[in-house]
Amino acid sequence: MLSKLSVRNAKRSIKDYIVYLITVIFSFSFLFALGLISYSKEVIELSSIMSNFRYVMFAVNIVIVFIICFLINYTVRFMFTKRSKEFGTYMILGIKKRNISQVFIVENLLLGFMAFLISLPIGFLFSQLFSVVIMNNFQLDHIVTIGFSAKALFLSFIYFVIIYILVLFLAYKRIRKLKIYDLLYYDKQNEKVSNKRFSKIAFVCFLLVGILSLFLFDQNFKYEDPSLGMILLCFCLIIISIYGVCFTLPDLILSTVLKNKNLKYGSDHLFVARTFRSKARTMSVTLGTLTLLIALALVSLNVSSLFKGMFLYQIEQVAPYDISINGEQEELPKFMELIRKNYTVLDSITYDGYKEPSDMFLRTIEQNGGYTWNQGYEKLMRLSDYNTLLKWRGMEPVTLNSDEYLLHSTKELKDKLSIDSLKKITLSNGITLQQKSYVTKKYTYAWGVGYGYVIVVPDDAIQGLEPVTHHLVVDTKEKTTEVFYDELVKVKQPDLCEEAEAGYTICYPLSSVTVRGKEEALYNGFMTITSFICFYIAFIFIAVVGTILAIQQLSDSTKYQYRYRVLFQLGERQEQLYKTVRKQLLIFFIFPLIYPIVISFCTIVSMNQLFKIALSNDMEYLGYYVFNLGIFLVIYMIYFLATYFGFKKNISE
Amino acid sequence: MNHVLKVENVKKYYGSFQGVMTKAVCGITFYVQEGEFVAIMGASGSGKTTLLNCISTVDQVTSGTICIDGKDITKIPENDLSDFRRERLGFVFQDFNLLDTLTIEENIALSLIMNRVKAKEIEDRVMMIAKKLGIQDILKKFPYEVSGGQKQRCACARALINHPTLILADEPTGALDSKSARMLLETLMEMNEELQATILMVTHDSFSASFCKRILFLKDGKIFNEIIRGNKTRKEFFNEILDVQTLLGGDFNHVK
Repeated sequence: MLSKLSVRNAKRSIKDYIVYLITVIFSFSFLFALGLISYSKEVIELSSIMSNFRYVMFAVNIVIVFIICFLINYTVRFMFTKRSKEFGTYMILGIKKRNISQVFIVENLLLGFMAFLISLPIGFLFSQLFSVVIMNNFQLDHIVTIGFSAKALFLSFIYFVIIYILVLFLAYKRIRKLKIYDLLYYDKQNEKVSNKRFSKIAFVCFLLVGILSLFLFDQNFKYEDPSLGMILLCFCLIIISIYGVCFTLPDLILSTVLKNKNLKYGSDHLFVARTFRSKARTMSVTLGTLTLLIALALVSLNVSSLFKGMFLYQIEQVAPYDISINGEQEELPKFMELIRKNYTVLDSITYDGYKEPSDMFLRTIEQNGGYTWNQGYEKLMRLSDYNTLLKWRGMEPVTLNSDEYLLHSTKELKDKLSIDSLKKITLSNGITLQQKSYVTKKYTYAWGVGYGYVIVVPDDAIQGLEPVTHHLVVDTKEKTTEVFYDELVKVKQPDLCEEAEAGYTICYPLSSVTVRGKEEALYNGFMTITSFICFYIAFIFIAVVGTILAIQQLSDSTKYQYRYRVLFQLGERQEQLYKTVRKQLLIFFIFPLIYPIVISFCTIVSMNQLFKIALSNDMEYLGYYVFNLGIFLVIYMIYFLATYFGFKKNISE
Repeated sequence: MNHVLKVENVKKYYGSFQGVMTKAVCGITFYVQEGEFVAIMGASGSGKTTLLNCISTVDQVTSGTICIDGKDITKIPENDLSDFRRERLGFVFQDFNLLDTLTIEENIALSLIMNRVKAKEIEDRVMMIAKKLGIQDILKKFPYEVSGGQKQRCACARALINHPTLILADEPTGALDSKSARMLLETLMEMNEELQATILMVTHDSFSASFCKRILFLKDGKIFNEIIRGNKTRKEFFNEILDVQTLLGGDFNHVK
């Protein structure tokens, strides 16, 4: 019978808390899906870096479990207050608190377990969907099927148990502390109406703390090596600012509306402002938390995009060619042979770097505070080689007159090398060259000549100069692999490789050998891990925020039905009433969004200072920002619409 | 005769909100004997619900003693109160307080069920009470499927199921139409006369009060007057109540 009561209560809760249940189901689905992926052998084997996926997931899941706990605990507490009268009735009938808590705990466990069960097949579907994304990231042409994993299931179950033990323990404690009087008269309690208002000064102070935090964050990213301590300090400051602003802003809005007569008596402003303020007062801590979660979600999406952009660009910068090797002249044919054995070679080129015994470029960099590996000479590259290499990357060839040279460097070196003294150089063979142009676009270390910059001279200008480095660049038909890199390293420097268990050979990286397959595996691995985790965090955060707002507003729609009846009886038309509702909900949904939009914009601008050298252009981050905000708004909008239609239905009853 | 309820010098002050102390009940003493049907009347704010809350262990007194069946309830520890309520007290509320997820039958049996009484015994006791209150036909229905009067009779059945020492009713007719109210009051009277249930009812309605045997009038947290029905007809008693009300000078149907 007790269980019957729990089942019936749970059934009723499903109807009232459908938005919440869907969110819990999705959250568990994500937990399970990502568990399946991190335990999938095929995914782990995509790249050596992917083996970290499981551990990173583990760490992230701790945060996620905490957030899901927050959501469930919030909702359970909320259900509890909604049903205080029911619990009061139990108590007055002489039913022991222990029995009451049993009923409540059983019904919540039922709901939770149902959500968990439903989440399993959905999670499995998600994992297949994610595998398509991973496939896309790794540019694979075969489908990675993610199998079922008992370990992942077990882990998900453990998360479920941890969450519910925590939440139900809190609920149990809450029930033990209850007094019948409070339960029976709970619904007679109003929103906290206090006439004490926070002053404008408090609001301004909290805002200043926020500005200070964003400023410090920005300063921190001006240097190449941002300090973690500083980032943490900024994080703490912004948390203080977010909560402070959430406490003080509603009062400010209300007093603005009250002060301005036109605003006060214009349309439904007064009603909306008063409703908002009383609600915001009651749940200011929650609003602060929601604002914080939105900010974290947006920043996390931005970080994900920045990393993704960086990795895509990095692959192009580090390994634009399938294979490139620097080595001794006699070594190169050996490599070529090995490559031919493994791949169909479409094209190949060998070229040399020429020694110019002066260090004018290197010295300029040093004078400008840069670090170099100065061997006392510069390396030159012939125009024809350079053009071939450009052509392979689909770039336009360049032309030089016999008295001109071209300087191509990384973006980092741009400021350090744009010096007038380098406009005209004289080589040791007596040839004087004018700088024709200085480009930074699409520089790659794979050319092998130079130290972050390459000096391209007409073919004739190298007369009398000694070839000092020798290079081989190969274009293969098939995709190169991580394993092949190890083979090349083994040929070049066998002592860098060692046999690991299970017949694997692990080689330390060697800068003179670049294989695109290896870089792709590395960066795609990073990219997959970061983008999955950031999107995962962002999605859960958004869903939690949307759910809490929806639950709050929907329950208010029944609790304060009379407010709308009064408006209706005072002669407001149905459409006008809906408009008021819309406005009120919109304010509620937008309020916790304003500050995070500002924060996420400022932080991406700051972070871009660091990332821009690794991104294909300086303005790319703006695109990311808009795109991510768009994603966020779409999900948020779904919650808003669900709330609006539910609200409409409730008040028209 | 045996005093079922002894209320002695009970005071209830509410905490100071911005320094203002509300004295809801200021030193009330009265006794209820077994088998009595007593009404407490008073205007809104006179302290009658507060008094009832104190007697029903929902609220705690500031000072004074309340004895039910010889036991001082102000001294019973919190954890034992639930047993006490279940065994000695029955409640009827203005807004029924029935659980909407349970059928009428289950609502009546709830406290038995929660305390794990045997199924057969539950069934028998519910059936017996339901027959007496004339609700045996609606036992399988849910609260939202029956009328207000039926709901309140269901609440009465729930209050009676444990054969309590004292039944406490807080404005039981407050949410009913006049016909249902009359039927309910007749039911309460029957419960009192036939089942020898002791009933303490709080009301501000003279008509409801006229069904009782004795009425205590409260004003500003104190007992102002007491009248006894004796051998008077209900009509005569009703007129007497109206006289006292005039004397009290308050309009009972208006909130201050």
